[in-house]
Amino acid sequence: MKKPFGRLVALAGVVAAIVVATAAGATAHSNKASSIKSGGTLNVGWEQSFGFTDNMDPTGEYLGDAFGILDNLLVRTLVGYTHNADGPGNAIVADIATTVPKPTNGGLTYTFKIKQGVKFSPPVNRQVTSADFVTALEREANPKDGAQYAFYYKPIKGWDAYAAGKAKSISGIKTPDASTIVFTLTTPTGDFLKRLAMPAAGPMPVEVTKCFEGQPGKYTADLISTAGYMIKGIDEVDISSCANIKPAAGYDGQTILDVVRNPNYVKSTDPTRKNYVDEVKFMVNASNVDIYNKIESGQLDMATSSIPPAVLKKYATSSSKKQYFHQNSGDRTWYITMNLTQAPFDDIHVRRAMNYIVDKDALRQGWGGPTVGDIANHLVPDALFGGQLKSYNPYKTPGNHGSAALAMKAMKGSKYSTGNSGMCDAAACKNVLLVSDTRGVDPGMVATLQQDAKKIGITFKVRQINGAYPTIQTPSKNVPISERPGWGKDYADALTFFLPLFDGRTIIANGNTNYSLVGVTPAQCKTLKIGGNCTGVPSVDTQLDKCSVQIDPARTTCYENLDKYLMTNVVPWVPWMWSKVTRITSSNVTHYQFDQFATTPAYAMISVK
Amino acid sequence: MLLYLARRLLWTILVVLVVMFVTFLVFFKLPNGDPALRFAGKSPTTASLAEIHKRLHLDKPFYVEYGYFVKNFAVGDDQGWPGLGYSYGNYVSVRSEILERAPRTLFLVAGAATLWLIFGVAIGVLSAVKRRTWIDRVAMGFALFGISAPVFWLGLMSLFVVWKKLGLTGGSGYVPLSDGIGAWFSHMILPWTVLALLYIAIYARLTRNNLLETLGEDYIRTARAKGLSERTVIFKHGLRASLSPIATIFGLDIALLVGGAIITESVFNIQGLGWLAFNGAITQDLPSVLGVVICTATAVAVMNLVVDVVYAFLDPRVRYA
Amino acid sequence: MTAAPTTVGGVAPQTVTRSGFELFWLRFKEDRAALLGAGTIGVLIVIAIFGGPIASAVTGHPNTEQYQQIMQDSFGLPKGPTSAFWFGSDGEARDLFVRTMYGARTSLIVGVVASGIAVLIGLVVGMIAGFYRGIVDTILSRTGDVMLAMPQLLISIGIVAACSSNKNGCVIAGPIAIQPGLALVIAVIVIFSWPYIARLVRGFTLSIREKEFVEASRSLGASDTRIIFREILPNLSGPIIVYTTLLIPQSILFEAALSYLGLGVPPDTASWGGLLNDAQRYYDTAWWLMFFPGLFLVITTLAFNLLGDGLRDALDVRAER
Repeated sequence: MKKPFGRLVALAGVVAAIVVATAAGATAHSNKASSIKSGGTLNVGWEQSFGFTDNMDPTGEYLGDAFGILDNLLVRTLVGYTHNADGPGNAIVADIATTVPKPTNGGLTYTFKIKQGVKFSPPVNRQVTSADFVTALEREANPKDGAQYAFYYKPIKGWDAYAAGKAKSISGIKTPDASTIVFTLTTPTGDFLKRLAMPAAGPMPVEVTKCFEGQPGKYTADLISTAGYMIKGIDEVDISSCANIKPAAGYDGQTILDVVRNPNYVKSTDPTRKNYVDEVKFMVNASNVDIYNKIESGQLDMATSSIPPAVLKKYATSSSKKQYFHQNSGDRTWYITMNLTQAPFDDIHVRRAMNYIVDKDALRQGWGGPTVGDIANHLVPDALFGGQLKSYNPYKTPGNHGSAALAMKAMKGSKYSTGNSGMCDAAACKNVLLVSDTRGVDPGMVATLQQDAKKIGITFKVRQINGAYPTIQTPSKNVPISERPGWGKDYADALTFFLPLFDGRTIIANGNTNYSLVGVTPAQCKTLKIGGNCTGVPSVDTQLDKCSVQIDPARTTCYENLDKYLMTNVVPWVPWMWSKVTRITSSNVTHYQFDQFATTPAYAMISVK
Repeated sequence: MLLYLARRLLWTILVVLVVMFVTFLVFFKLPNGDPALRFAGKSPTTASLAEIHKRLHLDKPFYVEYGYFVKNFAVGDDQGWPGLGYSYGNYVSVRSEILERAPRTLFLVAGAATLWLIFGVAIGVLSAVKRRTWIDRVAMGFALFGISAPVFWLGLMSLFVVWKKLGLTGGSGYVPLSDGIGAWFSHMILPWTVLALLYIAIYARLTRNNLLETLGEDYIRTARAKGLSERTVIFKHGLRASLSPIATIFGLDIALLVGGAIITESVFNIQGLGWLAFNGAITQDLPSVLGVVICTATAVAVMNLVVDVVYAFLDPRVRYA
Repeated sequence: MTAAPTTVGGVAPQTVTRSGFELFWLRFKEDRAALLGAGTIGVLIVIAIFGGPIASAVTGHPNTEQYQQIMQDSFGLPKGPTSAFWFGSDGEARDLFVRTMYGARTSLIVGVVASGIAVLIGLVVGMIAGFYRGIVDTILSRTGDVMLAMPQLLISIGIVAACSSNKNGCVIAGPIAIQPGLALVIAVIVIFSWPYIARLVRGFTLSIREKEFVEASRSLGASDTRIIFREILPNLSGPIIVYTTLLIPQSILFEAALSYLGLGVPPDTASWGGLLNDAQRYYDTAWWLMFFPGLFLVITTLAFNLLGDGLRDALDVRAER
């Protein structure tokens, strides 16, 4: 659900490590350090509505754009990120914890020491202790509080028992003293530190959160900050009793989020955030045209918004405007999903042929051409593998335009192809239901796919739905193919792709994210009312379990191999683009920096005139 | 008279209830996906969905949920009265969404209504007075064009020509009054004009026809025979009688636009109530849709009543049967 | 065509030999605007039937073929008219001229079929209500009232969304299902337009059934069926023709509006509204994309409105307001 657009810079891991120093300038045109100064207000436009998934309550909020705000401005975590672009931006560093701990006890125990001097913003005004992390995680575990990624913390011992209401506390989280917190896991979890770097795991003061029990999304209006900023007016909120708590003035959920400096913030405790500006204002604006007019005139400084094609072109091509044009990897794959249980895509020959026939360049052209992203050759963006699969391209075609010859070769042997024709000529190949959306780019994508698939004998019956996801996410609807999906990382680990997208055990009746139904069993088909060919559907469940317990570098290698295996032996998708995040800034912005974790601007690292 | 008004009011309320119920039924019974998905994150689980269903009362049969809805509306919820619940889109209270968006729509409709009433009636009168002249023909040709041209086309064309090419007005989007009255006005003038054009056309035709009919009646002839000036005849006698039907539809047209200016709001990106309802409809955000439907229906009911009273006041001969 | 002895509210024929049709034709052929409308409709019908294929043949550009290399710049922006692409490119790099010609087919089919069905339903309901009156009239009229008070666009969105997300479309009963696309769009338009017709027909029926010739027929012992089919129906033909003609442009605009909002015909089917939806994305750059489809849309609705107005005058039909 994160906004699209983002660049994938396929930097080799080695290079990435070297460029820490220059990473701040990884964007195409950033300014010299000398032009950076403190002070001023950063005005950010926001198109149409904030679109938060839980009103920006850290416990539930799952929108990448919100991660960028929380992580940079309001919520510190035990370990966090450097708010940089590319590889360095995805690396874990200590934040409230004194150091990044090494797991002990065979990868099952993590012990953190908390820095002194980290305080909650007004009106709480007290030192952050280990108990405040417990408060946050218990909120995350309690299903009534609206958590949306609680599954990431399931490996913590006693998590499920607490979530089910069978325990008073989470047995795997212990606080021997106010500055020590110990996590015990049931199974080694290679990316556990990155899970603790999510905003939901940031400390929360129980004296405030207790007033919002069972009310998802309500805590935001009185969110107590630990980072350099706080919601404007929070210092005037009376927290003496729950009845007295009123929403802070700086956030109304619909039109404005206004954050100002947090007086309790001690810079020396924070190794990463620079906090240049005095105030950041996020303002909802109905029209993206208006937003970019205001950016050009300096009334706004940047935006979370789609960019009108003409504006994009102007900034990308004009030499005087180019310095305000910033592109970074979006760590997001756009793909065509094929349902492994539905004819003709229940035959791997057909799925391979689809990978050869689709003109990926034409699809990208319809989205706005090379500025929008890089052609995807496999599942997970290269950046999450440190660029190791940069040259891996199992379905290579000239110019990425697709190839009928290669597709027909791949089709041979298919049960839907008579003789050796290489054409999908069975009845099942005609009028295949294709579920599309009503976004501006969809009609063009559909036209391209129809044109391409016809070359190997497949024709589509197109169904355009405003909001196609709910339909694709319902296995009983038996959607054979859709060009709608895109998936972005939650944090820089390939697990955030593989677990939700290819684990057969996670397939559910409604809201299913494994659209291709990789690993679905005949039994599941029965209970989920899936009408299709459910026998012998390939599964990668065992490989997934093997990879998830690994720690780098073996972990990355494991996922790389899984990506290759899926691309050649399962073929659930036609991946076609890794999108970039494009931001246009006003001339007020003297320093721009990208936050790779959230794939948003690093608001804490941006300075204005 | 009072009895008549009471009956009319009762009937209007009944229509409002039926409309609400049907709207509810359509969006509840014919869903394009589960609203709970919106709050379940990118990777929902069956348990988390069940929890949200419970929270939103989606686990109950539709009549129970409708009951909750009516109860909240009547008694109020934690946001006060009337309780309209929380948007499935962003979990913001529908009441505050409506309060946020209502001024945009009201400004849009009020401005357009002023334009179309003035110009529609003026053109209609002119056309009737100059009947069968080139003025009449041009005016009626214009009216026919106004009826035939879709708002979204006129909107797009006017934006391109007036804003983009000539730079005479602001572009699309809504600028609040607090940003300065100049900026507000320059963004509103195109939507006003485009929305008004259709109604100008309708009102001009209606005024012309009514006026011509009235002018053919005996008492007008008598007035003329008495030697009154043509101006007095038309404006004092003719126009007054032919305007009462206009008053009737004027009230209703305004009321219907409270939630119905969907296309105008969409073309010009104004994001008022119509947009809220439209967006709610395509994202299965039932509470938002119902909130706007209630606003519109209430506006219609009130306007109906006002029109009835005004009508009865203007024309005591009206027999209420 | 029936040779009705008189038209509603019209002057009784002087002689039997001068039929209603002749009278009508005498008036109609003097109405140049209406003739222009009729002529334009004739041309549009030819375009709808042959225009698409001919345009494809002349330009050599198939309806759905994309020309991204020629007709889009490297940022995916469509290019304007050239000697090979007369109307320029649509948002998907297809030949806009060819798409516009094919769009005529969609508009006319939707307009004519939807209006036809709506008139049929409206005729039956309106005649029953107007002829039998009493409780039947009350129920049918009140249903119509409620239908007219519905938020049309919102309910349409709900219905379209629900039908689109099912593989088999909207199952009405057993094997009868409405598939998304043209059929669904037509169904939605019918749902919201029959009440208008029903209301009009009811009014005309009410007044006809009080006429002397109906009384005479009844006193001669004619059955209800005979009176309905032999006396009332022929006298309704005038209004029916007029209002069908006027309903067609409304239906065409409704389809265009739905397609403009992305809820109309599938994206591979060319539709003027769909092309205008494209134009919305590029309204500040691609003027051709809004200009040409919109122009055809306006010409079409204008032609039908001209014809309808002409027919109304020639047949001397006045609504019972």
